[in-house]
Parts: sequence; C-alpha cells; structure tokens
Amino acid sequence: MKNTRRTLLAGMLLSVFAVAGCGKKAEEPAASAASDAAPAVAQVAEYVVGTDASYAPFEFQNDQSQIVGFDIEVLSAVADKGGFKVKFVNTPWEGMFATLGQGDRDILSSAITITDERKQSMDFSEPYFEARQLIAVGKGVTDVKTFQDLKNKKVAVQTGTTGDEVVQKLLGKTSSSIKRFESMPLALKELETGGVDAAVGDNGVVINYVKNNPQHGMTTVEDLQSFAPEYYGFAVKKGNQELLAKVNAGIKAIKADGTYDQIFNKYFGTK
Amino acid sequence: MDFRWGMIADYAPLFVEGVQMTIIITLVAVVFGTLIGLFMGMARLADAPHGLSRYLVRYLVRMPAGAYVTFFRGTPLFVQILLVHFALMPLLIHPVDGLVVNGDIARDIRQNYGAFISGLLALTLNAGAYITEIFRAGIQSIDKGQMEAARSLGLSYGQTMKFVIVPQAFRRMLPPLGNEAIMLLKDSSLVSAIGLAELAFAARTVAGVYSRYWEPYLTISFIYLALTMLMAWGISRLEKKLQIGAR
Repeated sequence: MKNTRRTLLAGMLLSVFAVAGCGKKAEEPAASAASDAAPAVAQVAEYVVGTDASYAPFEFQNDQSQIVGFDIEVLSAVADKGGFKVKFVNTPWEGMFATLGQGDRDILSSAITITDERKQSMDFSEPYFEARQLIAVGKGVTDVKTFQDLKNKKVAVQTGTTGDEVVQKLLGKTSSSIKRFESMPLALKELETGGVDAAVGDNGVVINYVKNNPQHGMTTVEDLQSFAPEYYGFAVKKGNQELLAKVNAGIKAIKADGTYDQIFNKYFGTK
Repeated sequence: MDFRWGMIADYAPLFVEGVQMTIIITLVAVVFGTLIGLFMGMARLADAPHGLSRYLVRYLVRMPAGAYVTFFRGTPLFVQILLVHFALMPLLIHPVDGLVVNGDIARDIRQNYGAFISGLLALTLNAGAYITEIFRAGIQSIDKGQMEAARSLGLSYGQTMKFVIVPQAFRRMLPPLGNEAIMLLKDSSLVSAIGLAELAFAARTVAGVYSRYWEPYLTISFIYLALTMLMAWGISRLEKKLQIGAR
C-alpha cells in the first residue's frame, strides 16, 4: 500500500514537471514571434481611455453594453483626425484619476471639468464642452430660487465632482447635510425618493435625468450668478506632451470641419 | 512619497463623526442580529411530535426561517444595502405614496435618518442570518441527553431551552459570534454607498476632493484595525469570564 502511494506521488510529480516543461517550451517561440510582429502592428498607436459610463448623455452603456455618448463620439472623432486609435474602458469615477499616474489608462474622457486643483496632478486638453452646475429639486419644493437657498437643506452630490466642491463651499466642508453618492444617477435617485431636498450636478446630466423621469415631478433651478461656466477637457498623464498635442490637434480639426457641431446637435439640439 | 496629512486634519470632524457612526451601527446591528439569531436559530430547529402541528411547524416556522437565512447569506451585503435603501425604503416610507409612512413626516424621516435606517436594517438582517446559523450550531452541539434529562425532570421545552441548553450553547457560540461582530464592523464600510456618513464615507470624501488615495484610506485602515483589535480583546475577556472552572 505504502509503495503504491509513493509511486503514484512520484508519477504525479513527474507529470507536473513534464507539463510545466512543455508549457515553457511552447511559450518561448510564441513570445519571440509576438515581439517580432509587434512593430508591424503598432504603426497606429492605440490608447486606453478611461470613462465612467454612468453619466448619460456624456457616457453610458447602451442596451448592447457598448459605451456610447457625447464624449465618446467626440473623442473618437478626435482620434480619427489626430491619427491614433482609442479603446474605451469603463472605469469607476472614484479612483479614476489615479489610473492615469499608474499607467492603466492613457486618456480620461468622462465629462471632466478642468480645475486648477486637478491640473496639479494631470494635464488637460483644450476645452471641448461648456457646462454649468444645475440644481435639481424634488416635487413640491418651491423655496429654492438660487444656490444660496440650499443653505439649510439636504443636498445630494456625486463624490468628488465639482458639484461636491461647490456644495462644500456653501454648506461647509464637513457638513452632514451633504450626501455623497458614487454616481450622479444614484444622487438623483435619492432626490426622487425624498431623501434630500436637492441635488447639484453638471447640467447636461441633470437635465437628461429629469427629462427621462417625468413622473416624479422634479424640476431644475438655474443660477447663473452662483455657478461660473466650467469647461470639460480630456485628461492625460502629467507631462505626456506628445499625446496631448495629438488630442488638441484633433479637437481643432473637428471644430473646424463641423464634425463637432454635428455631434453636439445630435445630443443637445442646436446651440 | 510625500504624505499630506493636512488634508485629513481639514476633514477631521468628518472622521470623528464617521468613527462614532461606524461604532453605533455595528453595535446596534450585533445586538439586534443576536436577537434575530436567537429566535431564528430556534425556529430552524423547531419540531412538533404530532401530525397536523408537525406540518404547521414545518411550513410556518422552519421553512420561513430557512428562507430568510438562505436569502441573506446567499446574496451580497452590498446588493442588500442598495436594495433596502433604493427599493424597499421608498416603498414603505415615501413623501407621496409610502405604504407605511407618507407626507411630511416621511420626508423628515428620509432626510434625517433615511440612510441610517436603511443601512442599519440591511446590516442587522444580514448579521441576523449568520448569527441564526451560529445559534443553530451552538444548540445542536449540546448533547441530546441534556434535553432529555431536563425534560424528564419536568421542565417544559421553553424552560429547558432557557435554563439548560442556550446558556451552555452561548459559551460555545462566543468565538464565532465575535468573528461575526468583527466582520460586521468591517462590512459596515459598504454603507457609505448610500451616503451614510460613516468612516469609509469620510475617506471617500477626502479622496474625492484631493484625488489622493494613500492618506485617507491608510488613515481609516488604522482606525478599523484599532477598532477590530479592541473588539477582539473584549471578546476574549468575555470568553475567559464565562469559562467553566479548570477541568
């Protein structure tokens, strides 16, 4: 009995080595073939683009689980003109900026507002979209006419967005009246179910949500005095001038030849 | 690497409140979860000797308890939290068409305690399911002779459970109960997804503002670690206290 077990064990060990050995041998030629072939394929550089696809109409997943939206079409057109390829990867907003530095993503295209704070850790392309913060209020809330009126109200925002920043400035950095959510739809859902009085976020997204959920009677309040216009830009790793130049050239080209206006009209109607 | 601890200091009150909230929801969930576990654990073991009552006990007591455990142990806590907060709660408490509470009171409850209630409910129900199994195992681990002896001395089923079986079982249940409490403390971080200002929420806020991840998450890691170590120490004290004299 003892002997049989030992033989079995030895046999198993042997076969493991044999398999491992084969694996190695088989891998080597494949690897060298790949490195030989690599330069031929990589003539057109392909960049990995991070986008938080829960931000309709800028970026969202359609029913075929493709990532689509305004930002996606603009950057795809930019890539066409700039002579490079892009591959979009759904990336959660929280932690997205860290993926640039770590090299997981080359470009971020996710309705990112250009701010001085963010410029310290990444580089931005020329602006491609003008946005403003917009207040959404729940059904029956009538006493919100300006941003200041939110002073003693509960407000939902998306964590780490410009909406989060402006509300922190109004209510205090550590105010318990601010409720933060991982995505803008969740923040607006909280408003819809009566958990907060208002939500603050980028106008494009807020308008889109309110328009698509008319049964809940939410309305929007514009405050041009309190909210300065913001500009969306594509972000690249700090110091990546080569890629930035390509992106900027592409933006310039699609603005010049009308492609940009065409995409804009498709998503937001005429200016 | 440069650490900017100043950003934690800026948001210190948020972290302090976060610790308090984390401790509160953990303790309340453990206490209520234990109560659920006690009754559900016994319900899972319930049986009756005769024909009809045997059927009733099986379908009205044992199976619902089993279904409860299966659901809450078999689905992710994160999903349960979202389900409770964004689906169950709006159904029950809603300013316009809440089934249980509506109108201005509902708005008030939701705004001030909405996330707290939902988070606590989800955590408690989840903990209750695990603790049910801990109770069941504890009760089943007590020798059958104990029950037989107590019953033959004239104690009722309830008295036997209360004075003989559960006290002995509880001692054996302490290590897994402590384990569950520690798990719960850590899992309470998931509640930040519904905007409840607990410890992980504070870190998410700071990370969101500064786009820096080392400082906030390292900070809360150490706080969670300190809390779980404290908890483990308390449980081992309790175990020693309840130990039977050296055999």
